[in-house]
Amino acid sequence: MTPIVLLLTIGLSYVGLAALCLGMNRHHSAIFEARPDPRRALLLRSAGWIAIGLSFASAVHFEGWAFGPVQWIGGLTAAALLVVGILSYRPGLILPTAALVLPVALAAAISI
Amino acid sequence: MKNGFRQSMAWLHTWSGLVVGWVLFAVFVTGTASYYRSDISLWMRPELRQEAAFSPEDLARAAEFGVAHLQKHAGNARTWFITLPSADNPVLDLFWRTKPGTPPSQAALDPRTGEVSGLRETKGGDFLYRFHFELHMPPIWGRWIVGICAMIMLVALVSGIVIHRRIFADFFTFRRDKSAQRGWLDAHNVTGVLGLPFHLMITYTGVVTLALMYMPWGVTTAYKGDNQAFFAESGQITAPRPPAGRPGTLAPIGPMVREAIATVPEPLERLSILNPKDAAATVVAVFEEPHGLSHEHPQVAFDGVTGAVVEVRQGGLKPAAKTFTTMVGLHEAHFAGPALRVLFFLCGLMGCAMVATGLVLWSVSRMPKAGEPAFFGLRLVQALNVGTVVGLPAAVAVYLLANRLLPVGIADRSGWEIRAFFGAWIIMALAALLRPHRRAWTEGAIAVAALFVAAATADALTIGEARFLGFDTALLVLAALFAYAARKVSTYAPPQRERRSRQDSPALAAASRQPAQAFRTQKVLNEA
Repeated sequence: MTPIVLLLTIGLSYVGLAALCLGMNRHHSAIFEARPDPRRALLLRSAGWIAIGLSFASAVHFEGWAFGPVQWIGGLTAAALLVVGILSYRPGLILPTAALVLPVALAAAISI
Repeated sequence: MKNGFRQSMAWLHTWSGLVVGWVLFAVFVTGTASYYRSDISLWMRPELRQEAAFSPEDLARAAEFGVAHLQKHAGNARTWFITLPSADNPVLDLFWRTKPGTPPSQAALDPRTGEVSGLRETKGGDFLYRFHFELHMPPIWGRWIVGICAMIMLVALVSGIVIHRRIFADFFTFRRDKSAQRGWLDAHNVTGVLGLPFHLMITYTGVVTLALMYMPWGVTTAYKGDNQAFFAESGQITAPRPPAGRPGTLAPIGPMVREAIATVPEPLERLSILNPKDAAATVVAVFEEPHGLSHEHPQVAFDGVTGAVVEVRQGGLKPAAKTFTTMVGLHEAHFAGPALRVLFFLCGLMGCAMVATGLVLWSVSRMPKAGEPAFFGLRLVQALNVGTVVGLPAAVAVYLLANRLLPVGIADRSGWEIRAFFGAWIIMALAALLRPHRRAWTEGAIAVAALFVAAATADALTIGEARFLGFDTALLVLAALFAYAARKVSTYAPPQRERRSRQDSPALAAASRQPAQAFRTQKVLNEA
């Protein structure tokens, strides 16, 4: 069960961190060639925090208060490393990968 | 503080990090490898094959074999340790200690026959594990040095957080197309910030594991310096039983093993037999940890002469002791299954990278202008950087390679493996001193890549079993990483200094809009 919960945690963290990063001027400009307008930035940032909150909630829900936070921090770190790597080497892939990861994470959540 | 708080912290971060950086790199690398300690040990004893599970009856018989061997060969020892076999590790490992401070003697027996097994003699993953906190020095010295370095690491971590003004703004930023210094600073920030929860946890809990040694005064006052009494009273071990000073005969061990297994549901891991020839001999059966964050082994203590149970220790720790054992548990991560273990390993690698990039950053930001000679301190740091950052991985690769290439029967084989480890490290460090700096990096990284390929190849040629495919693949991945690094170093050209036209790309335009802010952290570092 743990690997699937980890997949869910990393997936949700990845989507959340990707949204947070797109909500920042510098990274949004690098990908969409323009700064985000304030509403779009707010939307991306709230979506990002909600996804990260969900990843924490799901980790604690499925693994309990002892292992949940430990696994969540591990998953969040791995997801952040992925975002930074993709952003530096293939910035155009941030959005497609996030769009791909979201259904995978949801499928993982359903299969648990 | 004439320069203000942040500049003082920058100074502190720079110099505290530099002074202990090389030791910390070694501690991080061997610690990260220790997450796979048992896998390394299995790879290094390829004669061991997975077997059917051992029944309580098998374990009782194996323990009898162990005691018989120890009676014969270790009659004078004060303590015997018997690691019992398991399906994954089907060997009976014996250790004994005759005098305090001397290295333990050891033997490996076949658990089904009691004969000395034909395994190659090796310290396996245990060498890297002990190096992680003892640096292969006398334990007291090594533990103090590692402990002091870890405490300074905490200083470097906290001062690093203080001087990093743009933790959130630069959270995802890794600029590879700017100056070399900018790239290294970003890499240092990314590996430091993203892994920060792990770095803080691992450094703090690392100091906590040996806290009793670093801060003994509480135990000195309350228990007159008797650590064992403290551990026993706080419920972490069974109560120590001092020797009676009269000779005694050890009761048969088999019935004790059976009774212990019947008492505790966890698998039985090892037996400690204290003062085996004394009238107050004690046998302690130590079990694997139950699933949980906390590091606490259930234990059953027997009177060694009568064979009666003296004490059963299973859970029930008070909050303070539980906090301590949970921190130790988090540090060791025995609870982590394969998937979570990969993440711990990844975080460990980020720790290695954080230390290495910090060391490199120190030298890159002090590069002399074109035409000026490098000052002595810079040359020294550069050589130590190469000697450590590629020297240690080369030493690890040679340690594994020696395990496959040294003849199986030679005397002191495990000692030769360790000599190969240090020999390789010394050669790499000397080579780094003799070669021009950039060449030293390229050649060092190529040497590491070649050595890891050699270790995997030697395994394929001498053992060639499918069960080591995963391990060998990991070695090849490491080799590929170092080969990639070598290529990067040799083809690196400093980016053009002149400002590019803003029409080039919107990304550049956006990035160049805030140069003043972006370079502030770097400026702080320069001023230090």
